Amino acid sequence: MSTPAKVLVIEDEKQIRRFVRAAVEEEGCQVSEAESMAQGLIEAGSRQPDLLILDLGLPDGNGIELIRDLRGWSDVPVLILSARSQENDKIDALDAGADDYLTKPFSVGELRARVRALLRRRSRSGEAASPVVEFGAIVVDLSRRLVSRAGEPVHLTPIEYRLLSTLLAHPGKVLTQRNLLREIWGPSYIESSHYLRVYVGHLRQKLEDDPTQPKYLLTETGVGYRFQP
Amino acid sequence: MEASARSPDAGKASPTGRNIGLTILACLGTAAVATPLLGHLDLANIVMLFLLTVLVISVKLGRNAAVLASILSVLLFDLFFVSPRFSLAVSDIQYLVTFAVMLVTALTTTHFTSVLRQKAQEAEVREQRTQGLYQLARQLAGSLTKEQVIEISEAFIKEQLAAQSAILLPDETRHGLVAASANALPVESHLALVALESGKLVRSDEVSGLGYAPLYLPLGGSMRIRGVLAVKFANDHLEPTPATLSLLEALASLVAVALERLHYVEVAQGTEVKMLTERLRSSILSALSHDLRTPLTAMVGLADSLFLIKPALPAVALETAQALHEQSARLAGLVGNLLDMARLNAGEVTLRREWQPLEEVVGAGIKLLGNALAEHPVKVDLARDLPLLNFDAVLIERVLCNLLENAAKYAPPHTAIELSAQRQGEFVEVAVKDHGPGFPSERRDELFNMFVRGQPESGKPGTGLGLAICKAIVEAHGGRIRADNLPAGGACVSFTLPVGNPPVVEEEVA
Repeated sequence: MSTPAKVLVIEDEKQIRRFVRAAVEEEGCQVSEAESMAQGLIEAGSRQPDLLILDLGLPDGNGIELIRDLRGWSDVPVLILSARSQENDKIDALDAGADDYLTKPFSVGELRARVRALLRRRSRSGEAASPVVEFGAIVVDLSRRLVSRAGEPVHLTPIEYRLLSTLLAHPGKVLTQRNLLREIWGPSYIESSHYLRVYVGHLRQKLEDDPTQPKYLLTETGVGYRFQP
Repeated sequence: MEASARSPDAGKASPTGRNIGLTILACLGTAAVATPLLGHLDLANIVMLFLLTVLVISVKLGRNAAVLASILSVLLFDLFFVSPRFSLAVSDIQYLVTFAVMLVTALTTTHFTSVLRQKAQEAEVREQRTQGLYQLARQLAGSLTKEQVIEISEAFIKEQLAAQSAILLPDETRHGLVAASANALPVESHLALVALESGKLVRSDEVSGLGYAPLYLPLGGSMRIRGVLAVKFANDHLEPTPATLSLLEALASLVAVALERLHYVEVAQGTEVKMLTERLRSSILSALSHDLRTPLTAMVGLADSLFLIKPALPAVALETAQALHEQSARLAGLVGNLLDMARLNAGEVTLRREWQPLEEVVGAGIKLLGNALAEHPVKVDLARDLPLLNFDAVLIERVLCNLLENAAKYAPPHTAIELSAQRQGEFVEVAVKDHGPGFPSERRDELFNMFVRGQPESGKPGTGLGLAICKAIVEAHGGRIRADNLPAGGACVSFTLPVGNPPVVEEEVA
C-alpha cells in the first residue's frame, strides 16, 4: 500500500459526517471534512483529494454547482449522497460529472463498497488499460471487437457493441440515459429513451444468465445504467 | 325631450289638451293678425299665412295638431276672409278650389314635416342608444366581477328602456339557472331554460300578466351560452319595437362577452392557484422528507459505525447496534411510505412516463429488495411477447417492491414467490403470487384502503400503506389492481397497465 488515499466529505449534518468519516477511515483513507459548499471547494482545491463524498442538499447552494465548478479543473471521482425523492437531482449531478450516488439512508457496508470501487478505479487509471474485460462467463476483447460467452463467440450488432463498450469503459459508474443516448445514438435521440432500453434488453439477453435479474448490466431505475464488474 | 327619449313607443300618438289648445290659439291668432291686412293683401297671401302656421305647428306640435290646424285654417279662412264673411257659405265657387288646394297643401306639408320630425327623433333616440351602448361596453370592459356586470346592465336597461330586467346564470350542473342578483323581477324559469338551451330569443305575453318577465334573451358567448337576460317593460301591452329588440340583442352580446371574459379570468386564476398550491405542497414534502431522512440516515449509519470500533464491542452491544440499524431502517421505510402516500394522495400524481420493457423494473426491484428476499427465491415468468409499456419506472418499481415485500413478509420462509406478466387484450397483467396463508377473504376489498391490514393484530411490522400506495400508483397509470386467494392456497395480487401505442424501434441491420 502506497500513500493513503485522501477523501473529502462535504456534508452539513455533523452526525452523518461522523459515521461517514469512521467508515471511510476503515478503508485506510485519510479523511477531511467540510460542512458547506464554499468550504468544500476550498478544501478540494487545497487538499487535492482522491475522492469526494458530497451531500446534494447543502445549506449554501446546490451540490450540482459544486460538481460543475470542480469538473472545470479536476476529474476526481465524486460520490453523491441524496434523498430518494430527488431523481432529477441525481440525474443532474451525474450529468454534471458525478460518478455514483447513494440514497439516504444507506448502510456503512454500502458506503464502504462504493468508496472501494471508486478508489480502485483511480488506482487502475494509472495502469495501462487492458484491452480485455472479463465478467462472469463473458470475455470482451476491445482491441479485436470480439465477445465470447463461456468460450462461444457471441454476435453483437454494431449498436449493441457500442453500448457495451461504452458501459465497460466506465466500470461501476452510473451512466445516465441522456449520456448514453447522446454517446451512442447522437444528440437528436436524447428523448428516445426506449431505444436505449430495448438495446440494453438485447445485451442482457445475450450476456446475462438471467436477463430479468441481471448481475452485470444493472438498471438504476429512473436514472440510467451501470456496468458492475 | 327626456320623456320622448325614454318611451319612444308611447306618448306622441295622442295630442294632449295642451297641444289642441295651442293649435286653436295659433290659428285664431293668425286669423286675428290677418284680419287688419284684409284690405291690403291679396287673399292668396293670407292663405300663405295660414299655411305658414300649419307648417310651424307641424314642426312644433306634431302630425295630429297639424292636421287639426289644417282643417281649422281652412274653416277660419272661409269664415273670416272669403265673402260672404262670417259665414261658411261661399259666393264665388272658385274659392272651393282654393280651399281644396289649401287643405291638400297643408296636409301634405304636415305629412312631410312630421315624417321628417319623426325621422329626426328616431335618429336622436338611436344616437342616444348607441352612445348608451358605447358607454355600457366601456363600463363592462372595466368590470371585475359578475355582480358588476349584472348591476351595470340592469341599470342600463332601466335607464334606456324604462324596463326591469334580471340576468340568470347557469348553476354548476348547467342544467338549471339561478338569478344572479337579489332582483325582484319574477321570471318563468322554464322559458329561461328554453332560451338557454336553444340559444334563441323566447317571448311569452301570457306570463307577463302574472307579473313574470315576458322576454328572455340568451347571452351567447363565443364558446357557449353564458346565461339568460329576462326583461319586463313598464307597459306590458306594448309590443317592443325592432329597434328595442336589436338594442336588447346588442346588450345581450356585450354582457355575454363580459361574462365570458370574467370566466376565463377565473379559469386562469384557478390554474395559477392550483400551480402554486402544487408547488408549495411539493416543496413542503421535500423539506419534510429531507428533515426526516437526515436524522434517520445518521441513526442507521451511527448504529453501523459501532461495528467499526476497535477493539470490538462485546457481542451484546453489537447485537443492540444491529437492532438499532434494523429499526431505524424500518422507520425510514415507514417514513418513506407516509411521504409517498402524502404525495400520491395530495392530488394529481406527476408521472415521469417513458416507454420501456417491464423486465427492466422487475430486475431493478428485485435487486433493490436484496436481503429482504433472501429466504424467498423469486421466480420471474414474463411472457416473451410483452410490448413496451409507458410507465413511470420509479413508481412501478415501487409497486413491485411493495408487492414482493408483502409476499416475503407473509409467506413462510423458503417458499418461492412467483412474478408473472402476460398480455390480456389492451392491458398487460402483472401478478405476484406467494405460498403464504392468503388474504382473509372478508376483508379483501378493503385491503387497498389506507391503514387497513389483512391481519390487524398480526405481529408483522407494517402500516397498511403498502397496498394503498400500489393502488394509487397503478390507478394513476390507468390500470387496476386486485387481490385474490389462489385455489391452491396463497395470495395473488395482480395489476394491469394499459398497452397504448408503443413506439416502433427500428431493427438494426446487423
